[in-house]
Parts: sequence; C-alpha cells; structure tokens
Amino acid sequence: MNKAVDIVGLKKEYKDFTMDVTATVPKGFATALIGANGAGKTTLIDSLCGVNAVSSGTAVFFEKDSIDNSERLERIGYCSSGNFFPLNWKLKTIAECMAIGFDGFDRERFDTLCTEWGLGSSKDKKQKSLMKMSDGNRVRAALAAVFARETDLLVLDEPASPLDPLARDRLCDMFRSYLLEKDGERSILFSTHNIADMESVTDYAIFMADGKVIEQGFVEDLKNKYVLVHTDAGDSEKAKPLLLTYTSSDTGLEGLALSENSSVLEAVGAILERPTLQQLSVGVLRKAENNEK
Amino acid sequence: MKILQNSAEPIYKQIYAQLRGDILSGRLKSGEALPSIRGLAKDLKISVITTMKAYEELAAEGLVVSAQGKGYFVSALDPRLIAEQHQRRIEESLTETIRCAKMAGITLEEVRSTLDALWNLET
Repeated sequence: MNKAVDIVGLKKEYKDFTMDVTATVPKGFATALIGANGAGKTTLIDSLCGVNAVSSGTAVFFEKDSIDNSERLERIGYCSSGNFFPLNWKLKTIAECMAIGFDGFDRERFDTLCTEWGLGSSKDKKQKSLMKMSDGNRVRAALAAVFARETDLLVLDEPASPLDPLARDRLCDMFRSYLLEKDGERSILFSTHNIADMESVTDYAIFMADGKVIEQGFVEDLKNKYVLVHTDAGDSEKAKPLLLTYTSSDTGLEGLALSENSSVLEAVGAILERPTLQQLSVGVLRKAENNEK
Repeated sequence: MKILQNSAEPIYKQIYAQLRGDILSGRLKSGEALPSIRGLAKDLKISVITTMKAYEELAAEGLVVSAQGKGYFVSALDPRLIAEQHQRRIEESLTETIRCAKMAGITLEEVRSTLDALWNLET
C-alpha cells in the first residue's frame, strides 16, 4: 500500500492530555478520522498540518524523506473546523488572500464553487462578510477555497458537521471527483462525527480514543473483521462473554463481536449481520470508553 | 448497473455479481476494460474501496486481470471454462431446489412441471 502520510509515534503533550499516534493514511483513498469528543482528532490534524508543534515522532508525507514547509503548504489543502477565515472577510478577501498564499489557487474555480454553493461570486459588487453568513455557508466558503487549490492531499477537520443533508451529499460527490481527477494520486483525510452520512465516501478509517489509535483499516476489511450480534433475552447470557460491547434490554441484546467467533455465537442462538460503519464505530468507541472507566 | 444501497447483500457483492454475469454471458468481451475504480465509485456514489473489493473478487476468480497503473481488464476466457462455470451455477441452484422439494415433500414430477411452466414463462 502506498502511503500519503505515514505517522510514527507522533506525540503532542499537554498538561492533562497526551496524543501518541502511529497510523497510515493510504494514498488514493479517503480516510475518516473517527473518535469521541476530546479523543485527539483535531490535535492530530493540527499536528500534521504544522499548526501544532509536536514533542516527538515523525509524519512522512508522500513517501518523501523530508518535505519543506512551503511544499507541504502547497500540496496539502488544510481546513480547520470552526472559523477558518477571519469573520470580517468577504469572498473577495478570501480569493485575494488565497491567491497570494498559494500558487495553485484557481480563482475561476473558486467562483464556480461559490456560485454552485449559492454563496454568490467573489466578483459580485455587494458581498456579505462571513460574520453575516450561517455556519453552513462559512464552511461552504472555506471548502470552496480549499477545493479551488491544486493539491495532492486534503486534510479537513469536521467538514460535514455544519452542513445540511443536501450539502453533505454534495461534499461526498466533491470527494469522489477530487480522488478521480488524478486517479490514484490524491488522498483525503477528514475527521467526522457524521459517520452514516460520510460512509459512502469512507475507504479507510482510523479510530481514536484518549489520544491513541485504537483501530484502523480499510472499511470493507473492518466490516469483515467485526460482526453485529442480536440475541433474544434467553440467549443473551451465553453470548455476552464473546461480545466486545453490547447494549441490552428486556427483549434481548445487540452487540459487536469479532467475526472469528461467528460460529460459536450462532450455536448459542444469536443472529449475525455485517455491521454498517456507523454501527461498527459505535461498538469500537464504546469498547474504548468502557476500557477507560 | 443497479445497486441497492440498503440491501443485506453487501454493495461490493452486488457489483461483483453483475459484472460476473456480464462477463460470463459475453456482454463484456475478453480484453475489454472495466470502468476505472474511482470512476465507477463516483458514478454509483459509493466508496473507492467498495468498488476495489468487487474487482478484487473478480480477479481472484480469474475473470479479470489488473494491469499496473492501467486498471482492470476482462481475462481471455477459455470457452470451456465459461461453460463449466454456467454448469456449476445450474447444479448449485438445482441442488438447492431438490433440498427444498424434499423438505416440503414435493415429488420430482411436480418439480419438473414447475420447471416446465417457469421455463415457458421466461421464453
């Protein structure tokens, strides 16, 4: 597997929190960073993009031994969550600053994307400042700015969160087009809590809890590795020892187990199904939460 | 290609089954290129890895080959191999039919007449 980013022992220490990550972002695919609030997703993204200074460890980009800061800035399209641009900026300000900051910024493309998102154009006479825009539209403007650049890797912190369902669907299409345009050469890393909405565009998943990676892999492989288990109340006690996590009620229980235990689970009367990424994520994250307690 | 997003059948298996059918029936000819992995993912609104998984299954059966950097192509298939594949599928589904019939106590004669009726309906 070719790697867009190879992260080895990347460490960032705060007073009450330590991030220590070893993970891979495969080249040519979209990778989702999944974890509870405070798991360290934003810390990781900011550390990769040079916003945070790290304490130790390495992140190798594009399989190059070293990458200087200007090349990193040029080839990576980074967008933080929340307010990426100052709130008094207008589309025109964004376009002008992006053009100064990045060689690969295409203003025509930026205007096309902004128009498609219904934000108007950076050439319009009357323009709203970001302050007067909704959260969703601010993110649309920031995404338009990132997608208007010529990059090889997008690193986006919760791009889907403030978007409505239609805009999320559109974002997924933009991801697929981005990956298709330079077939196999481009990659995406994005953090998200909207797993169900983003599942159809997630190729690889990295799960984080308490600053560490607790699971990672290609989604189709993970869906084969784990199995979703349902039992009646009568059979639940026999199934429980084999479950990684479960929630139970009077009618029975639902839980996540390793597929290698499928035949034993079926023998005690459980019904099994292939989990969705959302179900898998809940199980993996709940297990981590239980371990922390 | 028709894909059900909410079927119990995984999406990669649906793609695999449809392409397999197209190859064995000759609708996709040997040497013909399959759509690019990322192109098909975009068209079907699914992830790249799902498409890739379907192509890998076809490759594992020898129905397609991957050419580094150029994508996937339909293999040069031996006509006897195709005939065998068809025969195998027919035997599989008939075995299942026999199992059902025996479980329900339906006679061979009754199964035959059902088969005749269905055969005529299809043609």
